[in-house]
Amino acid sequence: MVVLLVMTGFSLQSHSQTRANQVKAVFLFNFAQFVDWPANSFSSPTSPFVIGILGNDPFGFYIDKVIEGEKVDSHPIVVQRYNDADDIRNCNILFTSKSYSAIKNLQNRSILTVGDQNDFAADGGMIRFFIENNKIKLQINLKAAKAASLNISSKLLRLADVIE
Amino acid sequence: MRVIMLVCGTVLVLTCTAFLFYEYITYRDITKRELQTLGQVTASNSTAALAFDSKEDADEILQALKLQKHIVVALLFDKDGKLFASYPLSVSPENVPSSIGKYGYRFTGKFIEGFEPVTQGDERLGTLFLRSDTKAIYQRFVLYGIIALAFILLSFVFAYLLSKRLQASISDPILELADKAKIVSDKKDYSIRAEKKTGDEIGTLTDAFNHMLTQIQIQNDEINALNANLEQKVVIRTRELQKANNSLSEQNEFIQTIIDSSVDVIAVFDKDFNCLVANKQAANIYGNKKDELVGSNLLKTFPAIKETNLIANVEKAFKGETVYDHVYKSVIPGHFFQNFFIPLKNDKDVVDRVLIIAHDITSIIGANEELKQLNAELEKSNRDLEQFAYVASHDLQEPLRKIQIFSELSTKNLQHQDIAKRYLEKIQSSAKRMTDLIKAVLNYSRLSKSSNEFTNVDLNEVMRNMQVDFELLIEEKKAIIKCDPLPLVKGIPLQLNQLFLNLFSNSMKFSEKQPEITVTSSIISPDQAQGFGKNGTSYHQIVFSDNGIGFDQQYAEQVFSIFQRLHSNDQYAGTGIGLALCKKIVENHSGYISVKSDQGKGTSFFIYLPVTQSDDNVQPAQSNIVATKI
Repeated sequence: MVVLLVMTGFSLQSHSQTRANQVKAVFLFNFAQFVDWPANSFSSPTSPFVIGILGNDPFGFYIDKVIEGEKVDSHPIVVQRYNDADDIRNCNILFTSKSYSAIKNLQNRSILTVGDQNDFAADGGMIRFFIENNKIKLQINLKAAKAASLNISSKLLRLADVIE
Repeated sequence: MRVIMLVCGTVLVLTCTAFLFYEYITYRDITKRELQTLGQVTASNSTAALAFDSKEDADEILQALKLQKHIVVALLFDKDGKLFASYPLSVSPENVPSSIGKYGYRFTGKFIEGFEPVTQGDERLGTLFLRSDTKAIYQRFVLYGIIALAFILLSFVFAYLLSKRLQASISDPILELADKAKIVSDKKDYSIRAEKKTGDEIGTLTDAFNHMLTQIQIQNDEINALNANLEQKVVIRTRELQKANNSLSEQNEFIQTIIDSSVDVIAVFDKDFNCLVANKQAANIYGNKKDELVGSNLLKTFPAIKETNLIANVEKAFKGETVYDHVYKSVIPGHFFQNFFIPLKNDKDVVDRVLIIAHDITSIIGANEELKQLNAELEKSNRDLEQFAYVASHDLQEPLRKIQIFSELSTKNLQHQDIAKRYLEKIQSSAKRMTDLIKAVLNYSRLSKSSNEFTNVDLNEVMRNMQVDFELLIEEKKAIIKCDPLPLVKGIPLQLNQLFLNLFSNSMKFSEKQPEITVTSSIISPDQAQGFGKNGTSYHQIVFSDNGIGFDQQYAEQVFSIFQRLHSNDQYAGTGIGLALCKKIVENHSGYISVKSDQGKGTSFFIYLPVTQSDDNVQPAQSNIVATKI
C-alpha cells in the first residue's frame, strides 16, 4: 500500500524534479566515498552500510538500483526506510525531507545527516542539498560533522558551501 | 699521430653516442613517469568534482595544468565516457580521442598520451586523458648533442696537442725502427742495424731489434748452408734414380725383346678376355698391330672364338689348372696350335690372369696330313700290288698252263707232225700273249708320277696325235669323231696321249656298228665337284662318249681294275689293263674318272682334270669343232 502510494507520488513528480531526485540519490551514494566513519560504526567488517530515508522517500526504486551490489570497503550497502526517528538503529547516512528538528535526537551518533530543508544545515544538519543555477549544490555544516566524529574529505569540502 | 687521433675520435664519438642514447631512453622514461604522476594527481583531485557533478571544480583543477607547459590537452570524462571538463576550456576536435582507450601512457609521434582512471575508494568515477608534447625531450636532446660535440672537439684538440708532444719522444724512434724493418724485409739485407739514441724502453726495443736481426742473419746463413747441402743430395739421389731407372728399362726392354723374339705366341688375358700382354708373334699370327692387340678384347676381335675350346681352356686355367691342348684348330683358317694355358696368380694368391703360349704346329700338321696321304697312297698301292699279284698269277698262269699242256701234247704227238705243228702254234700264240701281258704289266707299273715331267699339255694336240695314230683303223671302221675344243692342262704328255689312246681304242674295239665317238669339254665348279674333288678346286670335265656295245652299269667300278675283263679274250682281244691304266693316269694327274654305260647303246667316260692357274684362262686357239669324218 505504501509502495503503491510512493509509486503514485513518484509518477506525479515533474521531470526536472525526478532528475534532481536521481542526482540526489547518486550523491547520497557518493557521500559514502568521501566521508570516513569511525571504526566503531560497524559491528563487523561485513555488517551492512545503511543509507536510511526518514519520512517521505523522493527516490523510490532508483536509489535501490544505484546501490545494488555496491559496497563501502567490505560493507554491502542497503537502503532502509523509516517513518519515525525512533525506528532508526544502525544507520550511516540518513536522508530526510523533514526539518532538522525531526532528527535532533540523533546528533551524538555517527550518522551523516542529509536534508534539503532551507535551514537544515544551519539548524545542525550536516549536509544540505540546494539548487543554484539549476544545479544541485551542497551546503556542509563541518562543525556538526566533526561533533559526530565524521571526517569529510577536503575534496568534497572544496566544492561545497561550508558553514561553521 | 693519425692513429692516435683516430682512436681518440672513435672512442669519444662512441662514448658520446652511448651517453646520448642512454640519456634519450632515460629521459623518455622519466617524461612518461612524470606525465603518469601528473595524471594520477589530477585524477585524484577530480574525483569529487565528478562525484558531485561540479564542472566548475573540474575546470579549476584542469586549468591548473597551465603551469605544465608541455601539456597540450587534458580531458576529463565521466563514468559514461561523456566529456565532462577540458583543458584548455575549448578543445579542437582533433585533440579529442574518438574513444576511451586502455589505461596507461604511450608515445604517439610527437606526443606522449595516456588515460588515467578516476576512482574514489572502490568507485570508478570517470577517466582522465592527458596529452603531452615531446618537444621538451628533443630540446633537451639537442642541448645534450651540442654539449657532446663541444666536448669531442675539445678532446680532439687536447689529444692532438698531447700526441704531438709524445711523438717526438716515442713515435719518431719507433717510426725509424719501422723504416729499418721495411728496408730489411725489402732488400733481405740482415746486416742493417738501427741506431740506438736513448736509454729508455725505446732504446731497449732498438737493442732487441738489432739482436733479432743478428739472430736472423745467423739462421739465414745456416738455412742457406742446409739448402745447398740438400740440393746436392737431391742431385745425387736423382742421378741414382735415373741410373736405376735406366737399368730397369734396359732390363724391361731385354725381357720384351726375349718375349717378342719367341716363335710362339705369348699372350696374357684377364677374366674378361682383355689382352694384357701380346708379343710380336701374336701380332704376326693374328694380323694385328701389337699395340692394337694389347688392350683389345679377344671375344670382340674374334667373335668366332666363342665356339672354340680355347675359351673353355682359359676358364679351366682360371681355376688354377695348367692346361695343355696339343692340337687347336685356330679360327684363323689353316692354322693349328699347340696351346699351353698357365694360370697367373696375383699377390693374394688368386688367379686373375692366364698366360697363353701357343706354338704354331701348322707345318707339322701339314706334314702329318701329307704323311697320311702318302700312307693312304702306299696302302692303295699295296692293295693294287696284292690285286696285281693275284691277277697276274691268275692271268699269267693261263697262257703258261696252255704252253705246258700243248708242249706236253706236242711231246706226245711228235710223230704227227701236223698235230705237233698246230700245238706248237698254240704254244707260240700263248707265249706271245704272255709277252703282251708282261709288257702291259710293265707299262702299268712304269707309270710314274714324278712332277718334273708335268708341263702344259694342249689336249687338242693330243686329240690330233691320236687321230693320226688311228688313221687306218678310223678309215677301216668309217668312224665318226666329234670333238669340242679341249683345254690346256698341266700334265705328262705321254700319259695323256696314252689315256686318250686307250679310251679311243676301247671305243673302236667294243663296237659292232659304225663307231661314233664324241668328245666334249666343260668346266665344273668346286661345288659340283664335291664327292670326288679337292675342296675349292674347279675341274675340266672331258666326256668320251661312244655308241658301242656298252655294259651293265653294275660293272662300272670293276672295269677300272687291272686284268678285269668283261668279255673273253676270244670275243674281244685285250689284256684287261687298258682302263686300269687310264684310271692310274687320271689319278696321277690328281683327277678322277668314272663311267656310265648302257648295254647295247654306248658308254661315256667322264674324265675330271683339275683346272690349274696356268691353264685357267688359257684356251688354246683351236678350230671350233674337230669333226672328222673319214
